Amino acid sequence: MKDLLRIKSLISSDIEALLNQQVKKEALSSSIYLAMASWCNRNGYDFSSEYFFKQADEERHHQLKFYKYILDMGGNAVSPEVTGIKQEFNSFREVFEEALDQEISVTNSIKNIYARCMKEQDFITMEFLNWFLKEQREEEYKARRALELFEVIGEEGTGRWQIDKHVGQIKYDSEA
Amino acid sequence: MIATTELTLWTDVFSTKTGAVYQCDAERCWYVDFAGKVARFDHRNFLKLRKAVYAIDIEEKLLNTTTDPDVEIIFICACDHCYVLSLAQIINLKELLEGTFVMLELNHIIHDRLFSNSL
Repeated sequence: MKDLLRIKSLISSDIEALLNQQVKKEALSSSIYLAMASWCNRNGYDFSSEYFFKQADEERHHQLKFYKYILDMGGNAVSPEVTGIKQEFNSFREVFEEALDQEISVTNSIKNIYARCMKEQDFITMEFLNWFLKEQREEEYKARRALELFEVIGEEGTGRWQIDKHVGQIKYDSEA
Repeated sequence: MIATTELTLWTDVFSTKTGAVYQCDAERCWYVDFAGKVARFDHRNFLKLRKAVYAIDIEEKLLNTTTDPDVEIIFICACDHCYVLSLAQIINLKELLEGTFVMLELNHIIHDRLFSNSL
C-alpha cells in the first residue's frame, strides 16, 4: 500500500496545523504593530510610528513566508482571521513593553514548532525555521533596545522626544 | 456491494462493524464504505471529511435536551458526497476514521523505516 499521505504532502498534519497557527500569529503581530504605529503617530512620536510601520511590514512578510512554505510542501494554508487588536495604550513606554511581549511570544511559538519537528525528525521544516530563529534574535534585540532607551535617556523633560528620535535609529548588525 | 474486480485493486485500510475504508493506489484515493454507500475521496477531501467529523461535539449533542432531531449533515465543499447521519452513526464514522488515520500513520512509519534501512 502506497503512503498516499506522504506522497501528497511533505509535512505531517500536526506540523501543518502548527505552521498555520504561526501564520495567524504573524498576522496578529502585524496588526498589533500597525495599531502601535497609529497610536505613536497620533501622539506625536513620528519616528516610532515609522519604526512600527516597518515592523508591521516585516511581520506580514514572515506570515507570507510561512504561508507559502505550507503550500509548497503540499499542505493547506489557511488565511487567518485577526480580531481584537488593542488600539489604545496608556503610555509611550507601554507600547514598547507590549512590543517586546509580542516578540517573546513569537519566539516561544517558533521554538515550540521546532521542538515538534525534532520529535518527528522533520529536518526540512527545521531548516526552514532556522531563518526565523535568527530573525527573532534581531526582533527581540530591537524591542529590548527600545525599552532600554527609556532607562538610559529617561522620560523627564524632553526625554520622550529624544527616545522617539533614537528608536528610528535602532539597528541590529551582529555578524554572529 | 463492491465488485470483486474492484476489490483486487483496493487495499483494506481499516474496518469496523459498521463500515470500512479502502485505499486505491492506482487512483490515489480512498473509498469509504459507510452508511449504505461507497464514496470516493481524494487526499484533500478525505482530510476535509476527517476535519468535519472530528469537529462535531458529540458530548454536547448527547447532553443537549432540545427536541431537535440528532441529525448531522456532513457536507464537504467541492466534494460530491454528503452524509446525513444520526448521532450513533457519527460516533461510528469517527471511530472508523480514527482507526483509518492510525493505520495510514503506521503505513507511513513502515515506509519511512523500510526506506531508511535500505540505504
